[in-house]
Amino acid sequence: MHGVTVSHPRSPRVALVKDVEWDVQPGECWVVTGGQGSGKTALLETAAGLHPALSGEVRVFGEPMEVAARARRIRRRVGLVFDGHGRVFPRMTVYENVALPVTYDHDLSLADAAELVDPILEALELDRIADVPAGRLGRAWARRVAIARAVALRPEILLMDNPVTGLDATNLRWWRGFATRWLEGNPLTGGKAGTLVLASDEVRPLLSIGHRFAVVNDGTWRVLGDRAAFESSDEPLLKELLAGIE
Amino acid sequence: MLPVEPSPTVPAPVGTAGTTVLVGSAWWVRVFGPVGRKLLRTLTDCRRITAFALITLATVFTKAGVARRVIRPLIQLQILRAGVRVLPIICFLGAALGVVIVGQTTQLLLQVGQTKLLGPLLVNLVVRELAPLSAALVVLARVGTATVTELGTARALGEVEALEALGVDPIHYLVVPRVIGITTAVVCLTVYVILFSLGVGYLFSFLRGLQMPPGEFLGIVAGAMEWVDFPLLAMKTMAFGFLASLIICYHGLCHPLRLEEVGEATTRTVAQTVVACLLVDALFVPIYVFL
Repeated sequence: MHGVTVSHPRSPRVALVKDVEWDVQPGECWVVTGGQGSGKTALLETAAGLHPALSGEVRVFGEPMEVAARARRIRRRVGLVFDGHGRVFPRMTVYENVALPVTYDHDLSLADAAELVDPILEALELDRIADVPAGRLGRAWARRVAIARAVALRPEILLMDNPVTGLDATNLRWWRGFATRWLEGNPLTGGKAGTLVLASDEVRPLLSIGHRFAVVNDGTWRVLGDRAAFESSDEPLLKELLAGIE
Repeated sequence: MLPVEPSPTVPAPVGTAGTTVLVGSAWWVRVFGPVGRKLLRTLTDCRRITAFALITLATVFTKAGVARRVIRPLIQLQILRAGVRVLPIICFLGAALGVVIVGQTTQLLLQVGQTKLLGPLLVNLVVRELAPLSAALVVLARVGTATVTELGTARALGEVEALEALGVDPIHYLVVPRVIGITTAVVCLTVYVILFSLGVGYLFSFLRGLQMPPGEFLGIVAGAMEWVDFPLLAMKTMAFGFLASLIICYHGLCHPLRLEEVGEATTRTVAQTVVACLLVDALFVPIYVFL
């Protein structure tokens, strides 16, 4: 992103974050932090090509995102996991949720997609609940389904919004393992090291994973650098986020 | 991306109970203001529905070969919902039309000795007017409100953005199957209404003493039809189905609905669809007059 002004998703003329200068290199793990309502989600959705930037240039894999047809092609290489329950489709089963992007992209029937979908379900330990409607799942499992759905088309970049919010210790451990495997490379990434962008207001659980840190505060974007730079920053908001709830 | 625009509101001070208060305005502003706002809102809706229709049509044609194994079952599901499951009520409606319109018209014409008018009257009343309109209205009542709620909820829960993020075109996935399914259903159900109303109407008249074999009765009706009636009937029913499904999908998708807005959205959907169908119906009147 170069000179990008991120707009509000519901009010496209309202600027949320201004002057975003952001280069994400392959294999990096970025942690974007900031208070609630600061514009992190809008920033991720703009990076994923869901909303146009108010101004500036958004390039993904060197290609501009403006043209809709091209945006859709690029979007397949970018996975996005939404906040909360991950916006899974509640009336569909877990299998149908994960299979949807595969069947649509490859023009396959649900049964024919099993060859591509089953390994993903197994990798994310969802195979036992494949026939359960996603609407019946709790937050942690719904988020796991959302991750499986986002990685179904083997994207190179994975964007995750508030990935650890509300996770208990077991699920947090699982999530860290998944993120580590994603960054190191595994069958889901085709063996290559994946790229990860995490936007979160809970920053402490992500300190050990993040390579580069940035903050969104009062509509401004600031790249802080690595973990040491992040922890040594004297910005009050960051100290507050690092301290968490006492 | 869906053509989302801010709600069409005209700036005006709003009272505590949500009612518009035009303090200190001239009498004509107070009288005509609400009418003007309503008119503006309707015109805005017309413009947006037209844009939505063009986007949908473009998607239908440009993505005809895309993800057919995904879209085809969705179309079948919509035909099942809007067509097959509506069949019992359509049969009932056809039977009611048969008794009320066909049966009574036949009896009346017999009494005044004008059986030669039987064919033209039944074709004009049932085949050209009542059957297409009643089929469209039944589909609207049975499927329209449910679909607006379903799509409105999906929009409010962010499922449309989720589809976009997965590289799935929401218009192609959510709107196109509904438009094709509902349009097909209205066309097919119209045929059932015609067949049922004529059949039950004949039976009713027969039981009341009509001395005419069924073949002759059907021959009179068929003889009153022109060849052009068939393509015109298909065009009319397709227009009704297309308009109904478009307005339903538009009101479901283009504004993220809150729970309290669902009622108003469904009411507007029904009202706008009825008006649109009647306007299309009126367009066909001159064609039939010149036949």
